[in-house]
Amino acid sequence: MNAFDQSRRRFLQTSAGLVGAASCAWLPRLAAAAAPNPDRKRSCILLWMSGGPTQTDTFDMKPGHANGGEFKEIETSVPGLRFSEHFAGLAKQADRLAVVRGMSTREGDHQRGTYLMHTGQRPGGPLNYPSIGASLAKAMRPDFSTLPNYVAVNPSGVLNGSALGPGFLGPRYAAATVGVRAAADAESNEAPANLGVDFLALPAGVDQKRQDARLAMWKAQQDQFLSSHPSGAAEAQATIFQSAVKMMHPDAASAFDLSQEAMATREAYGKGTFGQGCLIARRLVERGVPFVEVTLGGNGLGWDTHQGNFPAVERLSKELDQGWSTLMRELAERDLLESTTICWMGEFGRTPNINNTAGRDHFPDAWTCVLAGGGIAGGQTYGQTDEAGMEVTDGKTEVQDLLATLCQAVGVDPSIEHYSPEARPIKISEGKPVEKLLA
Amino acid sequence: MLRMRHALSCWLVLTSWLLLAPLHAETSDEDRQAEMQAMADRIDALVQARLDAENIQPAPLASDGEFLRRVSLDLVGSIPTVAQTRAYLQDTAPDKRQKLVESLVHSPAHPTHMATTWRSLILEPTDDPLSLQNESGLQTWLRGKFAQNVRYDRLVEEFLTATQGNDGPGYFYAAQELKPELLAAETSRIFLGLRLECAQCHDHPFDRWKQHDFWGMAAFFAQLERPGDNNIGLARFDIVDRNRGEVTLPESDEVVPPAFPGTTVSYASLGGTRRQQLAIWMVSRDNPFMPRRAVNWAWSHMMGRGFVHPADDMSPQNKPSHPELLDELTTYFIRSGFDLRQLLQTIALTETYARSSEAVSQSQAPDELFARMAVKSLTPEQLFDALLKVGLLQPPNAMVENDPQRSQFVARMRTAGKDRTEFDTGMPQALAVMNGPPVSTATNVETSGLLKAMSAPFLSDEQRLNVLFLAAYSRTPNQQELDRYKQFLAEAEPDQQSAALGDVLWVLANSAEFMLNH
Repeated sequence: MNAFDQSRRRFLQTSAGLVGAASCAWLPRLAAAAAPNPDRKRSCILLWMSGGPTQTDTFDMKPGHANGGEFKEIETSVPGLRFSEHFAGLAKQADRLAVVRGMSTREGDHQRGTYLMHTGQRPGGPLNYPSIGASLAKAMRPDFSTLPNYVAVNPSGVLNGSALGPGFLGPRYAAATVGVRAAADAESNEAPANLGVDFLALPAGVDQKRQDARLAMWKAQQDQFLSSHPSGAAEAQATIFQSAVKMMHPDAASAFDLSQEAMATREAYGKGTFGQGCLIARRLVERGVPFVEVTLGGNGLGWDTHQGNFPAVERLSKELDQGWSTLMRELAERDLLESTTICWMGEFGRTPNINNTAGRDHFPDAWTCVLAGGGIAGGQTYGQTDEAGMEVTDGKTEVQDLLATLCQAVGVDPSIEHYSPEARPIKISEGKPVEKLLA
Repeated sequence: MLRMRHALSCWLVLTSWLLLAPLHAETSDEDRQAEMQAMADRIDALVQARLDAENIQPAPLASDGEFLRRVSLDLVGSIPTVAQTRAYLQDTAPDKRQKLVESLVHSPAHPTHMATTWRSLILEPTDDPLSLQNESGLQTWLRGKFAQNVRYDRLVEEFLTATQGNDGPGYFYAAQELKPELLAAETSRIFLGLRLECAQCHDHPFDRWKQHDFWGMAAFFAQLERPGDNNIGLARFDIVDRNRGEVTLPESDEVVPPAFPGTTVSYASLGGTRRQQLAIWMVSRDNPFMPRRAVNWAWSHMMGRGFVHPADDMSPQNKPSHPELLDELTTYFIRSGFDLRQLLQTIALTETYARSSEAVSQSQAPDELFARMAVKSLTPEQLFDALLKVGLLQPPNAMVENDPQRSQFVARMRTAGKDRTEFDTGMPQALAVMNGPPVSTATNVETSGLLKAMSAPFLSDEQRLNVLFLAAYSRTPNQQELDRYKQFLAEAEPDQQSAALGDVLWVLANSAEFMLNH
């Protein structure tokens, strides 16, 4: 890190420190004044661990205790901060990570936990709340550009639905979904996962020339109706379809085309859907997309290791480590990590005690999330659990506070209100940002 | 039998409308037509009076094609076929509008569309498979009721006192997980047009509804239970009314007894279970909310906006745009025997409903004056069905509602808001419409029934374009459109004629004029 970087970092730390301390009336205004004018537009990447990842075998290990399990702890670049041995890549970048070890929630069911962690709200209330991706994307980029503002890569087939949805914000704020496309050839085991956006490509038999001819006529047809029938509905239809047309344009659509990356780069992320998803996230952040969610374990419930916890977690950890650490390294190389906040979480943690099928069960009482990158004070742990890992002994963190911290880290005031269909103002998060976690 | 008991038990306290209102069957058909026309004229007079007071010129009447398309979408949920449109445009009878409306409300598609509309009003949109199962069960029940044109007050009563998990309303109870607070919030919204749930957690200074109103309503649902082992499967269960169970204010031990909102009528004077007590009050003549809410719903269904807006928030602070008209129409609805079909038909007969949706002048009249017809989004169901119709994709006698492609399309296009004057959809949905089925199949020469029919050699380009425009817009193309598309077709290679016609159809199918009801 050179001197300029140092001073810039210090400046960011100082101003963000003020944000964290903001409790007087004028301080939020100061923060708000700083937010719209950053060097670069900020982005957020949510790494979603479908099934509920075990904290005891990843970021809050209990070596020497009966609950500890099979994995060893390793030292990281930050003295005293230790991770699982399967996080060799992340260990080198531990100074960028803030490990939140005191997560404590009250939902132990996959669907309910997924909804809770995505919205900050327990399911079942009268309102259908938006996921944090939809809320943040709306707050970070009020306008629609050529690319969608909220992209979800490999969302879980089992848990997809209201948890990832735009809730009361409406489908305009729904995530554009990137999923696995049909395998290009029989040797797909060798080739990296083939990801893409639903319905982005022209239907079979329609080439770009035909499409251009269609669009020219479509434009004339739209203009005629808009001028004779000026109305909110007609204008919205024209705007939304026009943005979809822009996204189909090869320049925009290429953001999702991983064949434009060198094979060495694709392999560095890992060939699986998660690694390739992290690469898509990097390409989208480069193009200014505010919120990208990448799921690991979405094929079924990957982290739901009721049986045979250790081989499964070893495999998942390696996939996670490769994708995540390459993502941070590449973002940093492009000077994008300062403006990109990363959040690692699942629907809940897993029991510290090991069951009689060598597995771990659902455990929302005391578990771990990780924040990293822009706006986050890395190289630390926040909160702790007792030596058996059964309860939080310090720094208990509720989901609302975690989401508020995430908002603050990306420069969005968590108390910004969006309106429900009944015109009720609803805050993005009712929690309080954890100042210690903010850079 | 259950009904008898209700009626008797409330005889001394409340009088059910069912016993007072004139019996529907006694009115002759001509009388009924005259009654509807008189009310339609009265509506027009009151709307006009307000326009005169504001010195605003209303829009002229819509063209025949625009009216036909609109009233078909509103009453039977889909656009007319080319043949229906041609017949209507050629009809010279002076009362063709009245005849059209009469035939639409008596077509089998009418109760289906009403059931779809009420199902989406009752249940929150979902793409969860279990909830979708609930939806189709409720849809079937509603369709049965609307097909028999069951009195609306009886429908409400049956809905509120349902006990069978297999029965339609049972699905609603399952969707609300039998929770008193959810059931109170939703039944108030659906049947009374009251948003009590804002008072769930605490009193709001400017809202009439207090926390006790909300929990008093919730108390009517406090004694529900599902019998231990009767999982009928798929999140369905029977519902049993017990005589124990209370609600308390949140974070307190204070028990709140049942109480009807906005009235001093005591629940204790009514017999039966708590839900029966609620149902008796709901359909009693002392209920100031229930029929007004139904009338406001019907008006907003047809006009895109209720007299009270939003249509399901009729709190006393939310003043109606036409108070006198709302009152008179409510009285009319009650006197008709809570006949929802007659109410919709009456509104469809007004000049107010028949006005053009085109802008009259640069300065737009406020929406609540109804100077022109609102421009409304098609529901996902309407859009899907319209696309099938345009592309002639629908196999004969197919059960459209069970088409998995339709369910997928509808789940993707679901909107959060209930205001249909907004176009509440996003970029992913727009991509799916433009590049996915059914637009892709409707515009592909291999799959499109319409394009196949249009390939007959004896048709001229102009005739082909006429058919496309009639199919999509229920009108013939204007001169500019004709010139533009004829030139496009002329420039296409001879073996690409069908494909080029498919391109034109793609343009129409993705246009605002097609995707909106105007």
